[in-house]
Amino acid sequence: MTKIILNGREVEADPKKPLIAACFKHASHVPHYCYHPGLTPVGSCRICQVSVQEGDRPARVVVACRTPVSEGMVVDTESEAAHATRRECLEFLLKDHPLDCPICDKAGECTLQDYTYQEGQDTGVSAEPRQNFEKRKSLGDKIVLDQERCILCSRCVRFFEEVPGKAQLTVSGLGSRSKIETFGDRPLEGNYQGNITDICPVGALTFKQFRFQARVWNLFKKSSTCGECSRGCAVSVEVLRKGEVKRIRPRYDAEVNQWWICDVGRMALEGANPGERAPALLRGYAGLEPVEVEDGLEAVRAAHRAHERHALVVSPWITVEEGRALLDLAQSIGATPTLLSPPSNGLEDDLLHTGDPGPNRRGLVELGFEARSPEEVLELLAGAETAVLFGERIAELIGHEGLAGLPSDLRAFLFDVEVPEAACLRGTFGLANWVERSGTWVNVDGHAGRIRPARPMPAGLRLPLDIVAALSPTVTTGGDAR
Amino acid sequence: MIPSGETYLLKRAELSESHLLKTYRRSGGYEALEKVLKEGVDPAEVTARVKDSGLRGRGGAGFPTGLKWTFMPDPEKDDRKRYMAVNADESEPGTCKDRVLMREDPHGLVEGCLLAAYAMRLEAVYIYVRGEYRFPYQRLQEAIDEARAANLVGQNILGTKFSCEIHMHKGAGAYICGEETGLMESLEGKRGHPRPKPPFPAGFGLWGQPTTVNNVESIFNVPFIVERGAAWFHTMGTESSPGNFLCGISGHVERPGVYEVPLGISARTILEEYAGGVWKGRELKAWIPGGSSTGLLPATTIDTNMDHDSIKAAGSMFGTGAMIMFDQTACTVRASKVLARFYDHESCGQCSQCREGTQWLSEIFGRIEEGRGTMADIDNLERLSKQMAPGKTICALADAAAIPTLAVVRHFRDELEAHVRAGCCPLKKAAPAEVGA
Repeated sequence: MTKIILNGREVEADPKKPLIAACFKHASHVPHYCYHPGLTPVGSCRICQVSVQEGDRPARVVVACRTPVSEGMVVDTESEAAHATRRECLEFLLKDHPLDCPICDKAGECTLQDYTYQEGQDTGVSAEPRQNFEKRKSLGDKIVLDQERCILCSRCVRFFEEVPGKAQLTVSGLGSRSKIETFGDRPLEGNYQGNITDICPVGALTFKQFRFQARVWNLFKKSSTCGECSRGCAVSVEVLRKGEVKRIRPRYDAEVNQWWICDVGRMALEGANPGERAPALLRGYAGLEPVEVEDGLEAVRAAHRAHERHALVVSPWITVEEGRALLDLAQSIGATPTLLSPPSNGLEDDLLHTGDPGPNRRGLVELGFEARSPEEVLELLAGAETAVLFGERIAELIGHEGLAGLPSDLRAFLFDVEVPEAACLRGTFGLANWVERSGTWVNVDGHAGRIRPARPMPAGLRLPLDIVAALSPTVTTGGDAR
Repeated sequence: MIPSGETYLLKRAELSESHLLKTYRRSGGYEALEKVLKEGVDPAEVTARVKDSGLRGRGGAGFPTGLKWTFMPDPEKDDRKRYMAVNADESEPGTCKDRVLMREDPHGLVEGCLLAAYAMRLEAVYIYVRGEYRFPYQRLQEAIDEARAANLVGQNILGTKFSCEIHMHKGAGAYICGEETGLMESLEGKRGHPRPKPPFPAGFGLWGQPTTVNNVESIFNVPFIVERGAAWFHTMGTESSPGNFLCGISGHVERPGVYEVPLGISARTILEEYAGGVWKGRELKAWIPGGSSTGLLPATTIDTNMDHDSIKAAGSMFGTGAMIMFDQTACTVRASKVLARFYDHESCGQCSQCREGTQWLSEIFGRIEEGRGTMADIDNLERLSKQMAPGKTICALADAAAIPTLAVVRHFRDELEAHVRAGCCPLKKAAPAEVGA
């Protein structure tokens, strides 16, 4: 470690990293566009200017992203000269920028906006007409490029070169006629395209799914964990006015996903925003009919009391905490705790996606659940008298057709976010999904990831832990004599 | 008066069939190399001779060539392959000296490359030739082939242990590829985007190996220095800028061309004695001392000596020593507009200041020249230029655009203001027939 003096404090800096990394590590923010900690620094935007003084040499203003740290270096990130140089740089960056912030999806989290406010250039001096480039160029089915807003930081170009490892974008043209393009105008491909919209410091690259969906300052953001595969990437779930999840974005986690997530996880809004969920339905003369949750749960307990061969199958989406409670339940009713283990979805790659659509498979197996394939689970259910099918997506993962084919004398109770049509279902209970409850998932490498409620559950629903507690045979309610 | 001193750079070029090996050998060519190889002179000694000669790079920056060579890491401690790239991407407007050397005396450059390779223990030398230089390229290629056939290039040169390959590369017409790191990127097959420094080429150059980048004329000087010694070299030129240089003079002169003159000669001598004075008997208005990137100077400074220190003292830069002359009918605003447009066109577009700044300067000059400028524009030219340079960007292209702009605002502000006031070019108004004549 190299010792440097940063804004008057002596701090330690990693000699393998540029000065800007040391500034960030020690909470000194330096404006930056082309620098991204996950990409090779190129030093082209020229805004990360700081004052540096080494040895007897006079202080000079340098770009922090391309300056190596040296022992005893005195760094001032707030010097007048550094601010002046940043202001100058911004003046150039703003010269051709369309300033269409009122209709730009990035407004509110755009660093061009932020630094312009911060460094304070409030009047434009350019009398020249702004350059006209393509304003809404579709780069495939996920991304739209606005070449006018682009400040040519080249982060997106380097992302494809360095992270998935296959170059797909390039800067074409020279000088002020430079613009971002795909090779031969081909559409972008791959499962990691969405990341370029996160790292784009301005609104040049926007994600089609999020275009014109929300102003970002209205989004309520909660740290959580992605459930689309067993990697369990750290994400931020962003909800518009406590209602719909509008966006899922990566959160930095050094051990799991660093700065990135795949597009499958990013686009998982359908799972995050399920439709209406009835708190409890029991089969009556006219099919599944709404009942009080208490009555529904009593029906499950009654079925457990009345019969002997019980099955308890959970989905790999339940948390470790819920798993523990369900294990106890399985023990008390004498069922084998079974984990539904879905096959690979074929999306695995060497970057993040594991192809295993079970975010907590490892955590549940470690708890003591027996993993069974959907076919084995159907076999198990066919031989049981009662069944508790518990967890988000369990019906989908077993397969709707398989469920529908089960004998109608199986007393199956489904605890899920959706209700398929199946004769075996005696009762169904709406469940809070992964953006509405909290808990722990253990990913494929044993790393624990927290999920947190980003919005309240729909009224009338109960938390899975409460439901499991109420299913315990020792629980008695008013009318029951036992 | 034309000085009586020795000429050596263009001496052989005057011979007939000067580009052939036989002519070159007849006039003493490859003797320096043979002597060094046969006598087994220590490579460090060759470097020392070049360093002692005080030869300053002729590519524009004027950095001492020998000193640059000493930046290459010690081969005892660093066993990576080492390269030299010869910068023959002569694209600076006004400059055309390397073309003459490559076309008329290509073996001189080959011998220089071999001596440099010997001194720095290089694996190979790459000559990056400007794409438009088809004929010089061909001549140089023929010379290398001829030298290879004579066992002067390749493995075990002249039967000794010394081996060196010389490769040629043709540029594709980008000014920025004449910047040393842009040139290396281009040689590697990438876009000619200059690399941020550090790391410097001597530590991390071509393909990450130690590399030295030298101009054609600098390398061309090497065989003479090695053969005749540093003391001989100091008999020409000035104390801090020894030797002769090739001065390409162009613009409004009677006899534009490339002349070999000693450093420190007065600019007036070059203009009047060599180039035959300003054409059509007109008066000098302004001149550019060393290629378009060096600032314009008013006619009053024409008695300045052409060497690095004197030109610097006069407020400009020696650059490549390519002088451009403007007579009294020339509009400096128009000239600046043309230059600004050139830099706008050639900026690689990496750095914000350069990408946007060169375009901005070009637009402002364009408006002033058309008579749509304001007084505030003139202040903006100055302010923006100071925001672009010096040293605010990865390479010096932004500086190259800013320096001439600052010079024209400094020396010809009245002319800029006259354009704004008149709403058109006042020179055009005064004598429409004369402009463009």
